[in-house]
Amino acid sequence: MTLSRRVLLERLLQGLGVAAIVNRHVPVVQAAGEELARNESGPLTIRVTRPFDAETPVREFRPFLTPNHRFFVRSHFGPPPPDAISEANWTLRVGGLVERSQEFRLKDLRQMEVVTITAVVQCSGNGRAFHRPKVPGVQWERGAVGNAEWTGVRLRDLLAKAGVQASARHVQLQGADRPVVASVPLFIRSIPLEKALHPDTVLAYEMNGRPLPLLHGAPLRVITPGWMADSCMKWLTEITVQAEESKGYYMQTAYRMPAIPVEPGAAASGKSIPVEAMVVKSLIAAPQEGETVKSGPVTIQGMAWSGEAKVVKVEVSLDEGKTWEPARLVGEDRPYAWRQWQLIWKAKTAGTFTILCRATDARGEQQPAMTPWNPSGFLWNGWDRVSVTVTA
Amino acid sequence: MSVRRETVGVRREKGLAIGLLLFGGFLSIAMTAAAQEEDLATVSAALAPRAEVLIIARCSVCHSPDLVAQQRLPRARWEATVEKMKHWGAEISKDEADVLVRYLSARYHPGAPDHLPPLESEVRQAEPFTQDSVAEGPVTGVAARGAGIFEHNCQACHGTNAIGGHGPKLAKNPILKHEDLFWETVLHGRGPMPAWGSVLSHQEIADVHAWLSTR
Ligand code: HEC
Ligand code: HEC
Repeated sequence: MTLSRRVLLERLLQGLGVAAIVNRHVPVVQAAGEELARNESGPLTIRVTRPFDAETPVREFRPFLTPNHRFFVRSHFGPPPPDAISEANWTLRVGGLVERSQEFRLKDLRQMEVVTITAVVQCSGNGRAFHRPKVPGVQWERGAVGNAEWTGVRLRDLLAKAGVQASARHVQLQGADRPVVASVPLFIRSIPLEKALHPDTVLAYEMNGRPLPLLHGAPLRVITPGWMADSCMKWLTEITVQAEESKGYYMQTAYRMPAIPVEPGAAASGKSIPVEAMVVKSLIAAPQEGETVKSGPVTIQGMAWSGEAKVVKVEVSLDEGKTWEPARLVGEDRPYAWRQWQLIWKAKTAGTFTILCRATDARGEQQPAMTPWNPSGFLWNGWDRVSVTVTA
Repeated sequence: MSVRRETVGVRREKGLAIGLLLFGGFLSIAMTAAAQEEDLATVSAALAPRAEVLIIARCSVCHSPDLVAQQRLPRARWEATVEKMKHWGAEISKDEADVLVRYLSARYHPGAPDHLPPLESEVRQAEPFTQDSVAEGPVTGVAARGAGIFEHNCQACHGTNAIGGHGPKLAKNPILKHEDLFWETVLHGRGPMPAWGSVLSHQEIADVHAWLSTR
């Protein structure tokens, strides 16, 4: 009896409260098919143990490309069993409103024209934890985003082989991942035909020059550059061309925003639209939150990105947004990638300072102080904020 | 539990009275809020023993409980969430759903701190909730009854016909022959395997064992 109480208690502590897990170094509950759990000092900050959801600590964003093992991980049901997606068993079917249904194996894809695109992939719920009032869902903070080089084939080249019929308007995507209980809706999404036929929409089998890792959708995932990651289906096995948007929970209820903004705290009602393009956003990668720096020149650096437009300006404020100073855009300048920026701040006086940053894109869209509230907490792009202490 | 509730009620009334008398509106609001906070803490501590067991045994089938603990939601959203989970396949009765909603909206409400203190102290204060292992004495399992119990409690992880899934294959599993090990694992759990000691009766576990032995 005493023993069972203690054992149960341990179990409660393991399962409840990420804070408790991290502070007490209690081993996190593990299950088959999950990567090793990591704590705050590891390459990823865990949000959900099973299915494994984890974000990148912002300090890791200094390089232009986010390494695979540090790239945020998100899925609804966890990866499928490895043998389901092994080279021997895996096939990709293309069907629906096409002239000729197709089935592809990996070796077929490797014979097609290869394309490489550098693109930001960002979870629609990145920054959800900052919405007030709080909203349900994984409480992502700043790191459910990454920038990687994706290599594969164009989705439109596959669709061309199948021959899209005239009535087609949407392309449905489905992966091999399955919920543990069959009554949970499958993760099925669709993208408009126009996005599917865009020459930059790719099916990637490599990430940063390495075979796509299991947690990132091996052997093949969709990359819709400029769009949020809810369209970037992992473990892709089915492509269905259709006249309508996909049905089901993950297309018709989840990953949607009210067409007309609602009052903070209001329930979702009325017309809604799917979450698609990313909004303009920037992050401060250094210095880090809570860091102590010496007075004198301090390099403030970070990255900025936007959906389908180029970032043209990043500004920094040290007075809560009253005045802004432009940062220098540096490094690689590629269409769907993020742009790095830096600013040398002459920290003269000792004390505590808040550094803010905001980006503006070529369409004139600028990051707001706070993102308008929405019931599922999508598309957060409020000014990024870091507090530092300057010592003499 | 009822005693604790009364104490809080008295405290809140006293708080209100002093507030109105001395400083008027502002203080009374502050003190009511503090009393409500205390009230919520009492409710969650009282419900913790039952609710936490449900969260481990019922809510952790599809996702780890950290997904639950990181939310800070008002009651209406907890109601909708628990209802959605039930609809998707969470095995909870109406009564259990009610306990969960009351517990979740008392512990994980919008005003709760980001990092809640661990449950340890609350669990210690609370009444005992595990069935005493010896109290029930030896039981004989009935395989026919075990099938349904397995389906509702174990199948999600151990697969149809116990052929395995997220949890190991149990059909023909040598552990079925080592009854002490089987009981230890099922009563107290192991790693990702939930503890069933306070969810299922010994008779029900014996029934599952009997049914598994026929697979
Ligand atoms: C049958 C499977 C299943 C069970 C059992 C289950 N859930 Fe869930 N739950 C899900 C799925 C699927 C999601 C969505 C996960 C995602 O988006 O990553 C989810 C998400 C959640 C979320 C996040 C908010 C949201 O709406 O997405 C909360 C909170 C939650 N569940 C609470 C619970 C509670 C409390 C229980 C026990 C009563 C429970 N769940 C039992 C499948 C389940
Ligand atoms: C939430 C998922 C889950 C549920 C529900 C579940 N189990 Fe398990 N079970 C597991 C996992 C995972 C393991 C493996 C534990 C380990 O790795 O130590 C396991 C292990 C076991 C074992 C030990 C097997 C061995 O080979 O050592 C037994 C026996 C068992 N479970 C019985 C049950 C019974 C009976 C039920 C229903 C009353 C049940 N389980 C419900 C996940 C679950």
